[in-house]
Amino acid sequence: MKTFSNRYIFTYSAVLVVVAALILTVVAVSLKPQQTQNQEAEKKQMILKTIGVEATRENAAELYAKHITEADGYYTFDGGIVLPMSGTGLWGPIWGYLALDGSSTVVGAVFDHKGETPGLGGEIATDKFAQRFIGKKMDVEPIHLAKNADHSNPHEVDAISGGTMTSNGVTAMLEKAYNDYSKLTSCSSSTSLTSSTTDSREEATE
Amino acid sequence: MKNIDLIKLPFSKENPILVQVLGVCSCLAVTAQLKPAVVMSLSVIVVVTLANLIVSLLRNTIPPRIRIIVQLVVVSTLVVLVDQVLKAYVYDVSKQLSVFVGLIITNCIVMGRLEAFAMVQKPWPSVLDGLGNGLGYSVILIALGFVRELFGSGTLWGYPVMEKLGLYEIGYENNGLMIMPPMALILVGLIIWWHRSRNKDLCE
Repeated sequence: MKTFSNRYIFTYSAVLVVVAALILTVVAVSLKPQQTQNQEAEKKQMILKTIGVEATRENAAELYAKHITEADGYYTFDGGIVLPMSGTGLWGPIWGYLALDGSSTVVGAVFDHKGETPGLGGEIATDKFAQRFIGKKMDVEPIHLAKNADHSNPHEVDAISGGTMTSNGVTAMLEKAYNDYSKLTSCSSSTSLTSSTTDSREEATE
Repeated sequence: MKNIDLIKLPFSKENPILVQVLGVCSCLAVTAQLKPAVVMSLSVIVVVTLANLIVSLLRNTIPPRIRIIVQLVVVSTLVVLVDQVLKAYVYDVSKQLSVFVGLIITNCIVMGRLEAFAMVQKPWPSVLDGLGNGLGYSVILIALGFVRELFGSGTLWGYPVMEKLGLYEIGYENNGLMIMPPMALILVGLIIWWHRSRNKDLCE
């Protein structure tokens, strides 16, 4: 085996790392605008989807401008509001949007995640999962996920088998969204409600 | 060894999962469904082939004492590059992939082939070796994904096969154990059993 001097080893590793860093920086910086654009379009697509408007990546911005009005921390559309949700799953952040009509009934939902296990927790991103929420209510209590859910219960939705941690994350996220929503609908929000909102926020940041 | 063997052997006698027992970790994680298994297979083929090529080109300049670090830098640079390009141009595919792209860095097949083959072989055989091992890995991954999705969720590539066949009406139920990671291990064990019984020379 060939031997190399220490000087060579140090120089070699320094050059290698600098070259790799340069390549990555150039690529990351040059692709950034394209990536941000994709993310923006995707967010608009998600919001539109909750109100039943199927948009492609290209026409998302246009349809979004037509149907959605942005308010402070939520979105309004003709007939209700769209609540943003965010929380933590098993491996990383999960988020979603919930469209509610005037009577707090879910008319559409959409969920997504950063890195939940595909086929298990990752199933929250499927239409099949999101459709379970339609017709459920966010009025007197938040919707929660449960094993073998009672389908007649307007606050209960079937959890994902094999995705318990992610399902718990979704339940926590719904509770947080519910607290935000109660504050929106009733001006006289009790102190206990406010403090519980802060608590769940803190948990989420941890 | 003939060049054609570099492609052929990893399918059977030198299979990375069955014989070298490399890449088992990701093979448990991504085979609950067929689609992620296929996507993961394709990405590993690309990364292991390119990494083999680059390391083989550099092999005479790499100081042996820091070779693992050099290999890691090459692999992770490639993986991040692939991830960035996918995010910019095929965003939907990258969303499917993102979690797996990270997993490729830790995939033992990549490091295993770099260390065992590309460090001491010329570029062209290294490319073939990477391709062969990537394919050998894919065969097992796709087989597992097929079985686990079909019997665990009753679907294939998201298509509800069992429902269309009307099996639920006659009392058929999905096997929940299939979608759990341990089942992948059991299935790999069964495949290894079958494989060894056909290749007696592999038995110790």
